[in-house]
Amino acid sequence: MKQTLTQSMAWLHTWGGLLFGWLLFAIFLTGSLAVFDQEIDHWMQPEIKQASVSNAQAVEHAVAYLQRQHANASAWNISLPSERMPALRVTVGDRRSGISTYLDPLTGEPLVVRDTAGGTFFFRFHYSLSMPRNPGIWIVGLAAMAMLVALISGIIIHKKFFKEFFTFRPNKAQRSWLDAHNASAVLLLPFHLMITYTGLSIFALIYMPAALDSLYKGDFETFYREHIEVMEEPRQAQTHPAPLTPLTPLAPLLAQAEARMGPLSGVVIEHPGRSDAHIEMRRVLGNRIALTKGHNMVFDGVTGELLAGPPELRPSVLAQRVMFGLHFAQFGGYPMRWLYFVCGVLSSAMIATGLVLFTVKRRRKYASESRLGQQLYRLVESLNVAVISGLAVACIGLLWLNRLLPVELAQRAGWEVRGFFAIWLLSLLHAWLRPRLQAWREQLSLAAVLCLGLPLLSVISDGQAWGDSMRLWLEVTVVALGLLLAWSVWRLHQPQVQHSERRVRHAQAQVN
Amino acid sequence: MMTAFLGSLLLAYSSMLALCQGLERHYKQVWGRAPTLLQRRVLRGSGWLLLVASLWGCAQAWGWAMGPVGWFGMLSLSGFALALLLPYAPRLAVYGPLLGLPCWLLLFALAG
Repeated sequence: MKQTLTQSMAWLHTWGGLLFGWLLFAIFLTGSLAVFDQEIDHWMQPEIKQASVSNAQAVEHAVAYLQRQHANASAWNISLPSERMPALRVTVGDRRSGISTYLDPLTGEPLVVRDTAGGTFFFRFHYSLSMPRNPGIWIVGLAAMAMLVALISGIIIHKKFFKEFFTFRPNKAQRSWLDAHNASAVLLLPFHLMITYTGLSIFALIYMPAALDSLYKGDFETFYREHIEVMEEPRQAQTHPAPLTPLTPLAPLLAQAEARMGPLSGVVIEHPGRSDAHIEMRRVLGNRIALTKGHNMVFDGVTGELLAGPPELRPSVLAQRVMFGLHFAQFGGYPMRWLYFVCGVLSSAMIATGLVLFTVKRRRKYASESRLGQQLYRLVESLNVAVISGLAVACIGLLWLNRLLPVELAQRAGWEVRGFFAIWLLSLLHAWLRPRLQAWREQLSLAAVLCLGLPLLSVISDGQAWGDSMRLWLEVTVVALGLLLAWSVWRLHQPQVQHSERRVRHAQAQVN
Repeated sequence: MMTAFLGSLLLAYSSMLALCQGLERHYKQVWGRAPTLLQRRVLRGSGWLLLVASLWGCAQAWGWAMGPVGWFGMLSLSGFALALLLPYAPRLAVYGPLLGLPCWLLLFALAG
C-alpha cells in the first residue's frame, strides 16, 4: 500500500503519541512541579520557620554547633538559608550521604524535622521515574526521543499551522479537542522543543557513550577533569591527621565570595580545625543561565587565602552548561520560574488533549469492533483516566500524606512515596471498574477537593493559620489549581454536544 | 524587575493581539465585519513593533542573555491565553490591554 508522507507521519504521530503519551504526561507534570521543588520541600517541613538572618550569622551558629557536637568530623557541610528555602542544615561527613541536622538559624539550636519525600520526589520521578537510576534515565530518554518525534511529525501533519494559529472553537466535540491540542502545541512550540532537546542533552553521555569510551576508555572522571578546570581536590582523610589549628574567621571570606559570585548556597569545610583545612564557598545556581554546579571558590582554612576558583569554562563546556541551565530553570528568579511552571503545565495539558483526542475520534468506530478491540479500547480509556486525573490525585495526595502520616513513623519518607504509588494504582483500578464519564468526574472531583482542602489541612495539622508567606503562596497556587479542576468537573456535567455537528465534522477530521 | 516583567508581559500580549487582529478571520470574530486593507496593515505593523518592544522589556527585566528566554515564554503564554479568550469573551480579549495599561502605570509610579 502506497502512502503519502502526511499519512505515514499521521500514523507515527497517532501511535507513537499514544504509546509514549502516558509516560510523557507523567514526566511533564512532575517536571512542572519540580520547578518549585524547594518550595514544596519547605511546605512539607512545617517545623522549619521563615527567618531572616545574614549568612555570616547563620554560618556562625552552624560552626558553633558543629564545633560542639562534631569537632572531629572529616568535613562539615553547611546549607545556608535562601529566598527559596529558609532552612539552615548542617551535614557531617560526605555532603550527599552524611547525617544531616536542621538548625534554627536564629538560635543555632537543633530542630526536630519530619522525614519527608518532599518536592525532591517530583524531581527524582521526573528524570528517573523513581526507579533505579540507570534504567529510569534510559526510559525517560526514550520517551524524550518519542516526544521529539511526535513534535516533528505533528508539525508535518498540521495542515493549517499559521492559518489556525489563534484558533480555538469550543463546544464542538472532537473539533474542540483538536483545536486545543493544536493551539497548545503550536503556540508553545519553542518551549516544547527547547525543554525536550535540553532534557535529552543532560544525559547525552549516558545515551551516547561512544566518544567517551573510545577517547577516555569510559572514564568519566578523567574527561570531566580535562574539560572543566576542577580545583585541587582537598586531600582525602589521612592516616595521621594534621595538627590541630584554629579555623580562620569565616565572615570576611563569605563577603569576598559573595562579591565575586553573587548569592551563596552553602559552605563546605574539609578537615575543620586542622592545619590542612579547606573552605569551599558554593554559589546558588541561578546567577546566570549556565548551570554552575561545582564552580566554586576554595580558601585555605587557616590563613583564609584564596586557593582556587571560580573556574572559567571552556566554550564547549559552557555551551553544554547553558543547555543544562535552560532545562533546570534556576535563573531569572521567580518570574522565570512561573513562566516555566505554566509552560510545563500547558505542555502536560497538550499531551493530555492528544490522549483524549485519540479516544474521542475512535469512540464510534470501536463500538462496532470485535470484543478484543472493544476491550483494548476500554483499556486505553481507563489508562487515560488513571494517568491524567489519577496522577493529579496522587500528586496532591502526596502533600496530604505528608501531614496525615504520624510524624514518628519509621522510614516516613518511604511511606509517603509508597502512598503516592498506591493512590495512583487505585486510580487505575477505579478507572477500569467505573464507566468512563463517571471515572473522569469522580477522580477529577477528588483531586479538586484535595486541592481546595489543602489550606484547611495545614491549618488543622500545624495549628497555625498562614504564618509563613512561602507556604501561603503554595497553598494559594494549589487552591487555584483546585478551582481549575473543579471547573473541568463542571464542564463534564454539561450536556454532551449534539451529534449532528459531529457527523459533519467527521469526514474532515479523519486525516488528523 | 517586577515592573519590567509585567510591562513586557503586557507588551507581549498586545503584540499577539495586534497580529491576531490583523488576520481577517479573527477581526471578523470580534467586530463582525472584515477589516480594511489599511486597518490590517496598521494592526500587523504595530504587532511587529510591539513584539520588538516586549523583547526590549524582557532585556530590561533579565538582561540580554536571559531576556530572550523569558520573551519566548511570554509570547507563547499570551498567545495561548488570547486564543482561549477570543471565543468566550472577544471584547475582553481586545480591551484587556487597555485595562492593563493603567494598572501597570500605577505600579510603575508606586515602584518609582
